[in-house]
Amino acid sequence: MNNSQSIKEAFKLALPIMIGYIFLGVPCGLLCQQAGMDALQVFLLSALFYSGAGQYMIPNMWLAGSPLSAIIASVTLVNSRQLLYGASLSRFCSNTKKSLSFLYGATVTDESFAVNLAKFELGNWSVKAATMVNLFSQSCWALANVLGVILGSLLTVPTALASFAMTSIFLCLLFSQKGTLSNIAAAGFAVIGVFVCKLIGLTGPAILIGALVGVAAGMVVAALKGESHA
Amino acid sequence: MPEAMSWTEFAIVGISCAITILLCRTVPLFALRGRELPSWLSRALTFIPPAAFAALIANDILSPGMFDAGLWPGALPIVAACIVIPVALKTKSLVFCIVAGVGSYGLLMLI
Repeated sequence: MNNSQSIKEAFKLALPIMIGYIFLGVPCGLLCQQAGMDALQVFLLSALFYSGAGQYMIPNMWLAGSPLSAIIASVTLVNSRQLLYGASLSRFCSNTKKSLSFLYGATVTDESFAVNLAKFELGNWSVKAATMVNLFSQSCWALANVLGVILGSLLTVPTALASFAMTSIFLCLLFSQKGTLSNIAAAGFAVIGVFVCKLIGLTGPAILIGALVGVAAGMVVAALKGESHA
Repeated sequence: MPEAMSWTEFAIVGISCAITILLCRTVPLFALRGRELPSWLSRALTFIPPAAFAALIANDILSPGMFDAGLWPGALPIVAACIVIPVALKTKSLVFCIVAGVGSYGLLMLI
């Protein structure tokens, strides 16, 4: 693929993510403004930190009066699931320059991880194009957040409604996976894992622990069924 | 209502969170990059997408206290999710799923 072709491809792939990020980013900016952040701070957070869940948690916990250390620890625990994405994507970065691999890894999100992974597995996809998908998504996220601050008190968006845009994206990504028995076991046990974690008070690391339980369940079922995943 | 966040407090939280997420995003990528992975590990990696997305969905719509405010507020996201699933299976389109999800969630809120 030449350059302009891969930019076009990357934009096409990023577009649905960008739409989701507008739904999610505007209310996030609104919330940050309520916690006392200005447009520059919200932009910096989107550029350097870039985490949907995290950027919702910071103002929410601040407004609830949580100490800084608790905010940092909770956000870090929730974002620990990124470890899994990095591990999963490493095999596609073997022949890529370190600096590009770093930029790619540093800008991965739940949504861009999934769409790029699907393209990598089909072949004919480069880390460079995948990084463009990430950067298109991030730019849109940052703009939507800043827009949220600017619109400020003019708007009230029910956050539950807006955040369901992201849940819908996750549903689409989950139900686009192959319906093998081991995949179904992985998903089912991940759901149970998350619920049990919340039940015993492990809300922060619930996503990571749930996902690891799911991975283990998928491997057990695959081994029992003799399924091949090559 | 707590005071507005100061620049110092903002910098402490923002920089700390940015560093920890950067480590989570890049350390495994560089640790495993360019290595021949043992077969059990590559098999485990194939289960990350279904497990991670199921975990994210469960985290969004399920919690032990979900029915504390009554049956409907807890059931609403689950009903909306059930509307998105056939759209996902049929179209595999992120945009259609967002429209179906947010649209049905919004309509269900009116009930």
